[in-house]
Amino acid sequence: MSPGARLTPSQERDLVVATEGGDPEACHRLVEAFLPEISALARRFGYGSAVGRAELVQEGVAGLLFAARRYDTSLGTPFWGYASFWVRKSMQELVAELTGPVALSDRAVRALAAVRAARRDHLQAHGADPTTDELARATGLSRAQVEDLQATERVPRSLQEPAAGDGRSADTVGDGLPDPAAEQAYDVVLDAIEMRRVRDLTEQLSDRERAVIRAHFGLDEPAQTLTRIGGSLGVTAERVRQIEAGALAKLRAALARPAVLPGGGA
Amino acid sequence: MVSGSPALRHNALVYDSEDEYVGRAVPFLREGLEAGSGAVVAATRPGLAVLREALGGDAGAVTFVDVGAAYTRPARTLAAYHSVYADELGRHRSVRAVADVQFGPDPREWDLWTGYEAVFNRSFAHLPAWVLCTYAGAHLPDPVREGVWRTHPEVVSAGGWRCSDRFDDPDRVLRDVTAVPPALPALRSVPSDGGVEGVREHLARELADERVPAAAALDLLLAVTEVAANAVEHGGGIARVRAGRVDGRFVCEVVDHGTGFDDPGAGYLAPRAGVGTGLWIARQLTWQLDLFRAPEGFTVRLRL
Repeated sequence: MSPGARLTPSQERDLVVATEGGDPEACHRLVEAFLPEISALARRFGYGSAVGRAELVQEGVAGLLFAARRYDTSLGTPFWGYASFWVRKSMQELVAELTGPVALSDRAVRALAAVRAARRDHLQAHGADPTTDELARATGLSRAQVEDLQATERVPRSLQEPAAGDGRSADTVGDGLPDPAAEQAYDVVLDAIEMRRVRDLTEQLSDRERAVIRAHFGLDEPAQTLTRIGGSLGVTAERVRQIEAGALAKLRAALARPAVLPGGGA
Repeated sequence: MVSGSPALRHNALVYDSEDEYVGRAVPFLREGLEAGSGAVVAATRPGLAVLREALGGDAGAVTFVDVGAAYTRPARTLAAYHSVYADELGRHRSVRAVADVQFGPDPREWDLWTGYEAVFNRSFAHLPAWVLCTYAGAHLPDPVREGVWRTHPEVVSAGGWRCSDRFDDPDRVLRDVTAVPPALPALRSVPSDGGVEGVREHLARELADERVPAAAALDLLLAVTEVAANAVEHGGGIARVRAGRVDGRFVCEVVDHGTGFDDPGAGYLAPRAGVGTGLWIARQLTWQLDLFRAPEGFTVRLRL
């Protein structure tokens, strides 16, 4: 089933715009609408790859949400036609990141061999896996390098490897079936993205400033007059106006902070 | 170039192989580190992994920035880079950066990102930064390749460093790649009385009626505050305000009584002494900002 069969073009467009605007419900609905396409791409990608399907779906969801932030509705392109490139690219980059360094250089292969040897030695000596710091000390590599090399060794099996010789392609095996692990993965990505949204500017305000802005501008609540807001806060309307002006100035300053240059200039 | 040079140096690397990418980027960064510069690698995660591994022990002195999700809109990308460079310049007298640019597959977006590369020259002109924008040459479409040479004064490729004989004035490039804003007759009039505060209140009601999410509504209200304040201070006052939905997005226009101005880089110049910050803020907070002279007056159109 194509995404178009589930959403009308205007529904799809409105969902994308609301997602880009920070509406969490729209974000969830958009991901749900395109999860079958993302899962199908992950299945094609995961076949023969060292990367697990749940991780690929996770990356695919991140790619979809990035596409929503970049998609120009005025161009008239169907969203999936635009987003599928970014979904695929996200998955490609995950695979490259996790498998790349081994394929890239002899030096990385030697470093990986050193990490494996250090782990084996540690296991023999202590009967337990070494920590990343212990591996870094033993090999002379940085902690980040050890972490990167360890990542190349993660070889989670994909949830559904096509059974050899069963006559079905990797594209069709399991199509339409629930994928609990992948669903769980997508929740993790959504939570992370919502948490790191930087555009919720009101987080930079005090509770009182935030209350004034929300009440006066009608953000997630009915708009109120300055007098009425003042009544509920126990201050005058003029004081509320001052609080609002101070809050706006604070947000303005946060958005236009110049670089402090060497020598103290800006 | 000597590290610590007072002005921006904005160059491009067009590479044919990963070895060439690493072979150019790593000495470039190391030379800067040795001279006391800060160093930034801005790339997608595979690029970060490759350069981190190649930098070895020097990687600890380099700031790695994942730009996988950074290239959404040019003004927001510039603001993100500005934050990174400002941070580096708080600790070092200059900075060198290797930065991957994400043009994407849709030819209709390429002009937008060529415009970004052009205005980069003006946006950070005041910063002691040497930025090497990296492009994988193997699959670079011709229009993008042409744009690279038009927007970077120097380009390094297999043939070595070369001054670009096709480098063009950034404003001219921006004008070439910016479409004339279409008329939007469907927008409805919004009361424009009460100055900046009045306009903000009226628009807050329009946004609530259109069920625009709260975070986005606040973005627009902050942006329109800047635009309306400019109209009052520099444009002889607010003549009219219009608003409505176009292609699913909330759009608002502020028309003033002044003669306006013609600067394609307006709102793209990073904050610094002597440069107004109102339009920089407005561009960051909106999907698109168009400034144009219309029969009814100088118009700023904010598209959320």
